[in-house]
Amino acid sequence: MSATVIVADDDQDIRSLVSIAVTKAGLTLLASVSNGALALDAIREHHPDLAILDVSMPEMTGLEVCRAARADDSVGDLRILLLSASVDEHSQSIGIEAGADYFLAKPFSPRELASWLSVGKEAR
Amino acid sequence: MTSLLSRVAERFSMDLDHPSSAVKQSATAIAVVAAAVLTFIVPGLGFTNTPAAVSGIAIIAFATLLSLVFTHFENLDRYALLIPLIDLFGIGAFRAGTGGVASLWTAIIILPVVWLAAAEGRRYIAYAGIGTSLALMTPAILTLTWPQVPGEWIRGVFTPVIFAVAAAIVNELARQSRKQLRSIKAMAEEKERMLQRTVEYAAQLQESESKYRAFDRMFRGVWAAVTEQSVIGTDATGLVDAWNPGATKILGPTAEQAEDKLYIYDFHLPDELEDRARELNYPPGETVLNPGFSALVETARLGQAESREWTYVRGDGTHVPVQLSVTKRVDEEGRTRGYLFVASDVTQAREVARLKDEFVGLISHELRTPLSSILGYLELMRDDEDNPLSEEHLQYLGVAERNAHRLLRLVGDLLFTAQVESGKFPLDARIVPLEGILTSAIESARPVADTAGIQLVKNLPDAPAVVHGDPVRLGQAVDNLISNAIKFTPRGGTVTLALDVTADKAVITVRDTGMGIADSELDKLFARFFRATTATRNAVPGVGLGLTITKAIVTAHHGEMGVESEEGVGTCFSMTLPLSPVVIPA
Repeated sequence: MSATVIVADDDQDIRSLVSIAVTKAGLTLLASVSNGALALDAIREHHPDLAILDVSMPEMTGLEVCRAARADDSVGDLRILLLSASVDEHSQSIGIEAGADYFLAKPFSPRELASWLSVGKEAR
Repeated sequence: MTSLLSRVAERFSMDLDHPSSAVKQSATAIAVVAAAVLTFIVPGLGFTNTPAAVSGIAIIAFATLLSLVFTHFENLDRYALLIPLIDLFGIGAFRAGTGGVASLWTAIIILPVVWLAAAEGRRYIAYAGIGTSLALMTPAILTLTWPQVPGEWIRGVFTPVIFAVAAAIVNELARQSRKQLRSIKAMAEEKERMLQRTVEYAAQLQESESKYRAFDRMFRGVWAAVTEQSVIGTDATGLVDAWNPGATKILGPTAEQAEDKLYIYDFHLPDELEDRARELNYPPGETVLNPGFSALVETARLGQAESREWTYVRGDGTHVPVQLSVTKRVDEEGRTRGYLFVASDVTQAREVARLKDEFVGLISHELRTPLSSILGYLELMRDDEDNPLSEEHLQYLGVAERNAHRLLRLVGDLLFTAQVESGKFPLDARIVPLEGILTSAIESARPVADTAGIQLVKNLPDAPAVVHGDPVRLGQAVDNLISNAIKFTPRGGTVTLALDVTADKAVITVRDTGMGIADSELDKLFARFFRATTATRNAVPGVGLGLTITKAIVTAHHGEMGVESEEGVGTCFSMTLPLSPVVIPA
């Protein structure tokens, strides 16, 4: 069974782009949501293997979702990839501190994201 | 009062010193006329020698006429003393005609004698004596006979001696009188001069006073008008002695509440003063009574101007950020009398800076997100294996991608410039060998240079050069210089990247054979959005941020940027970086 993924970004086009990359990589997309609160709900409901979260989102930011998920014992083994449009060098380390496993700066190449995801799938 | 005194003195001096010759002569003339009339009409008298008496009267008349002439022509006045001399001869002749030695009118001689004797100078005493003698001897002279009677010649000698003595006394009295008059006159003049000086001094005093008053009004006006800046004066210990309305507005207390009661450091955050004191290494060997205050005025005390940000604590305990400049107040001898603290509230400026940062962050995010979509979907189109694009469509896609990347770079540059300006310029510094950075910079520029028909030359020394810096930023700086050089050099030209290493510095130079930059523009070259005339004239693409960023990177590495250029010949940019003392093993 392929790894399961949820995607959260307030920008619908980016969400679709990430979803396409996920599908291309052969992973199973469980949910695609537009804000942080919905993302946390989806994580708790679906227990995905990977959550791809935009950093700046309404309701809850990607960082807040990260912290909440890490603090929630019911979530279990979850990998988190943060997406950010910020070029501030600190944002990456802040993301890692919040509990993210990976960090990807926008703009990103869907081709590279897909190949990275498929490697991850193999590794899991 | 004084002028009255001087007028009186002048009047006296006129009468005594300068009576006219005619006035002086009138006494003699009247006396002789009276004597002649009396001699003629009184029985028992009569002329003993009529021709002598008549010639005597004629001589006196001539002298009187002369005195009128002298009086009329003032320039002849210096010959006036001829008149009494002539008088003496006239009286002598008259006496000879009215009884000779027995004449009743001998005494008239005294009149010209006094005139002569009163003249200035002792020699006139002698003239008077000789004149008298001649006058008394006239009867003898006229008849050319030596006086037979001894009394006659004794009278001719003795009387002149008496007259000479009288003349001497008159002369002396006149002299004394003249002296006194002169001194009275001198005193009056001196007094007049002093009065004049006093009047002038009073006028000057009044002028300076009105100037001072005008300045005082001006100063008070300015002092009261400065309501947006706090201006506080203190003595050398920090006790407030001047407090303007701006200080009341920013800090709270009025001038009455603050002056001579509060200290300037009462309005500072103790922690900030302490930090500054520590920064200045207090106590520096000597005992400093109040390290906080000393730290506050340290730069000003050394006579330098200082402006830095501090936090003022208001009367009600709230804080206000200020830009404060401190200067020394000195007295006429140059001794420090206190300090002047001029502060502007920078709350708004800080808020503006914060909003700008926020805005830049937002813009960056809002621009990068749609660019992410554009680039991502363009890539999906290119990669769509089910619907492969035609050659032509791929070409169109390339143009769109290239421009999206250009926009992305511009956003990155703008964001970076904003970071540099707000002082938030992250450097990931480590020990870096420069050779690697320079080699990769030249290799990544080679495809562009080849396309543009430009030869790239690398000129690196054998010895390793190591600096402490951020390799990514340094690479960005060198890339900027090389890509600029390629952009500004026509086909067939050369771009040379060189590295020179001295004892403690590494100098990286990028030299081109391009269009050059006008002298007048060299100093503006590193300003944000500045574009050289040669760039706009030749339609070289760019927005004018590359050199700004390059300079910011070099400055952040404690280095210096330099440029030399000649229009039509080429340009040479140099980056001088301090070498790291640490040499990493090869």
